[in-house]
Amino acid sequence: MATRLKEIDAVVIGMGFSGAILARELTKAGLNVVGLERGADRNPAEEFTLTRLRDELRYVVRLELMQDNSTDTITFRNGSDESALPIRRFGAFLPGEGVGGTGIHWGALHWRFLPTDFRIKSALTEK
Amino acid sequence: MADDAFARRKFLVGAGLAGTAIAAGVAGPVEAQQPAPAAPAVAAPAPQAPEPFITLTAPEAAFIVAVVDTLIPPDELSPSGSDCGVAVFIDRQLGSAWGGGAKMYRAGPFLKGKPEQGYQLPLAPREYFASGIAATNTWTRKAYGGKDFDRLAAADRIAALKAMEDGKAEFENFDARAFFAQLLSITMAGFFADPIYGGNRDMIAWKLIGFPGLPATYADKVDDYRDRRYAAEPQSIADFS
Repeated sequence: MATRLKEIDAVVIGMGFSGAILARELTKAGLNVVGLERGADRNPAEEFTLTRLRDELRYVVRLELMQDNSTDTITFRNGSDESALPIRRFGAFLPGEGVGGTGIHWGALHWRFLPTDFRIKSALTEK
Repeated sequence: MADDAFARRKFLVGAGLAGTAIAAGVAGPVEAQQPAPAAPAVAAPAPQAPEPFITLTAPEAAFIVAVVDTLIPPDELSPSGSDCGVAVFIDRQLGSAWGGGAKMYRAGPFLKGKPEQGYQLPLAPREYFASGIAATNTWTRKAYGGKDFDRLAAADRIAALKAMEDGKAEFENFDARAFFAQLLSITMAGFFADPIYGGNRDMIAWKLIGFPGLPATYADKVDDYRDRRYAAEPQSIADFS
């Protein structure tokens, strides 16, 4: 039977970078906010400190912090002449899970802007 | 890559020596870690007994040992792959949750995709390696006079792996090239991963390439090593646990 929960002003689904900022703005505006996130309940003092932090096989190779493909994945194809197939294990891009989302495995790499990055508005307008 | 499966290792030699020559000082870490044959001290442990395989069957273990010892032969750089623990590493990995297909999407459809669509078989890693080993042995029995891969002479093992790597080995219903890539990948993982996983015994691979292992904060060493190369014995996760 469905449980009726206490009413709340706003629910943010996904507490990664975007969801956390959004929740912060909403609470600053005086709303009561519930944030929903999936994944294991991780304890930063245990998971994000030495020695585990440096366990490359566990995190970098076996992708401990990434979304679990066994329960959920996406399909993709590179052209309309192909059949879209499921990603069975993430590799090319790595969505995280758990409170913090991508923020918990973000490597802090910032690529230099390309010339095209400075023309986004112009390019969209021309389109 | 296709040209020589061992070019990588030669590269490793160069990189490793460049790193360790400076790191080594008088007693190089490479030499220092060679198995010391003589004079065990009173409390010294007995020479390491071979660890039993707990996942691989005996024929599978023989195959994996033969592969890792072909990819990493014993030479002046390191003991053989299996003596470095790589076969044990593979055994443990295939027996792990990862080996059983954890966090892997295993529902259909199972279609042959383009290479850029990634792995599309229903097999978990443990099953994939079992199938690959069986397929390889079926092929070597045909191509090399009735012999399983691990029974081949050293030169034939190299030739067989190269044929797989080049896509010239014709397996029945199995992608030989992809299997070679997986064998190479897990062998490298075993050679370079933290020793807590069973490979990289005595941190031999880290010493070879001058990788410091676990420590990752060096702010306190900046003054001590100003204008000097930082060199240190590597440390494993086990050293901090």
